[in-house]
Amino acid sequence: MELTKNITLGVYLPGQSLIHRLDPRTKIISVTAIVILLLLIKSYYAYAAMLILLAFVIFIAVIPVGYAFRGLKPMLPVLVLMWVFQLFLYSGPSPKLLFTWWFFSATEAGFHMGNLITLRVFFLFTFTTLLTLTTSIVSLTDGLESLLNPLKRIGVPSQELVMTMIIALRFVLILAEELDKIVKAQMARGVAFDRGSFIHKTKKMFPVFLPLFISAFKRAEELIVAMEARSYTGGKNRTKMKTLHLGRVDLVAGLVMIVFSTLVMVLIISVKPQI
Amino acid sequence: MSIIVENLCFSYKKGTPFEKKVLHDISLTVEDGEFLALIGPTQSGKTTLAQHFNALLIPHCGRVMVNEADTQDPNTDLVALRLQVGYVFQNPDYQLFAPTVGEDIAFGPLNQKLPRTVINDRVSEAMKIVNLVPEIFLNRDIYALSGGQKRRVAIAGVLACQPQIMILDDITAGLDPRGRDEILAVIRRLHREQNITIILISNSMDEAAEMADRIIVMNQGQITLEGKARAIFSHLDLLRSIGLELPESMNLVQQLQERGLAISSVPLNLDETIDLIAGSFRKGQGTT
Repeated sequence: MELTKNITLGVYLPGQSLIHRLDPRTKIISVTAIVILLLLIKSYYAYAAMLILLAFVIFIAVIPVGYAFRGLKPMLPVLVLMWVFQLFLYSGPSPKLLFTWWFFSATEAGFHMGNLITLRVFFLFTFTTLLTLTTSIVSLTDGLESLLNPLKRIGVPSQELVMTMIIALRFVLILAEELDKIVKAQMARGVAFDRGSFIHKTKKMFPVFLPLFISAFKRAEELIVAMEARSYTGGKNRTKMKTLHLGRVDLVAGLVMIVFSTLVMVLIISVKPQI
Repeated sequence: MSIIVENLCFSYKKGTPFEKKVLHDISLTVEDGEFLALIGPTQSGKTTLAQHFNALLIPHCGRVMVNEADTQDPNTDLVALRLQVGYVFQNPDYQLFAPTVGEDIAFGPLNQKLPRTVINDRVSEAMKIVNLVPEIFLNRDIYALSGGQKRRVAIAGVLACQPQIMILDDITAGLDPRGRDEILAVIRRLHREQNITIILISNSMDEAAEMADRIIVMNQGQITLEGKARAIFSHLDLLRSIGLELPESMNLVQQLQERGLAISSVPLNLDETIDLIAGSFRKGQGTT
């Protein structure tokens, strides 16, 4: 029993690679661009381009390939379920029947839709994971804050917003560790989490989440006290110990991203969509 | 019921860049009916090792045999095994979750699908053993309990499963001296009267010396020392080098010896210490 093993989102893998050394703002903007592109892609060719970029980034960042995709493991049932739903429920404007099962019918459009959506989730998840794997919590905060700074003028409390987001990200792993302990304590008293029907399994989760929520509240309270004890005040007049600087690496990365985005946009426009 | 561990090794986060080897080639035996203390500094692997005893963790190499059943064997009924080897966790907050004391203690027997009357009997029996009067505490809110009471409810919850072996993971941490003494008295009674094999995990040398028949000292994922309390505490320098201190009583006697008081034996608890020191003074007076 080790739940934390498969959590990669929010984990930072320290390193000295070019990707690690990029300014956090470059990385955040790049990932945002990728996310927008992913939402527009409707053909396999464009996804192939994405795959090349993904492989390139993983290679440069020196992240073990298995580890980059490890976080997908717990998501696998959801991905499969999503694919199956699309296959049977989406039919498109001119349905071409593939096969029927019981009273469900699978269409070719549904098949492609399933593939595209699953690929989209796969890339969204992997690219955001790569962002947190190569960016420490501190620089991620600094980067986000500096990007959201202009919004302060229209009254958005950007510093507090970023702080909240970062704390949430930090807590993913902490809560997973707590969940691990709680699950173990229940297994020790005869709960078989891996047995029984789906409803049975779901029912077994209730006694797990109650202590988890309570400990989450407790931790949140402790965090507040710890922050107040050090006189934390958000927002105005906070200065940074480290200021961010864009370097030559960022220029190169920016250029690569611009070329890549243009290429993908051309693919999106010129290639006939799959659905 | 015995536990045999052979050449066990284990790593956390195996297969990731964060892999950390916590246990190296551990072999040991826990005999039926004994009182074993597992001591060592923090991060020495005590808890990780103990979680192999009831198959909460499965070894990466070597094997763990509980009552002749291999925990790696897919045919072993791990649920039944975990009920026989009870585990009381370090922090009762992770273990207790039901709204009331009674419901929480009944959780284990409920999982065994026992009839209601049997469950009720087991709950009140377990509460009596840990000195919680059922009439007062049965419907008490869990979150209104003190630290010591929570620990006792946690022990009762495991006792209600009627285990033959009980693993107690640092259960006196954070208790005041009185709460600590009460808990230790309960454990002593469990061992003597219920004949339950006890494995006490602790980083308090006093506790280990007072309570256990046999002590295993761990450091950095390996067994450093193993033996009877008196034999263990003769390796003073080794214990200090891994960050453990002698029990108070032995510390006192050792310092008295250094200042020239003739004490030959090693005391394990307060009474023995008093007897030894008083005896040595009496002898001293006789000769002068």
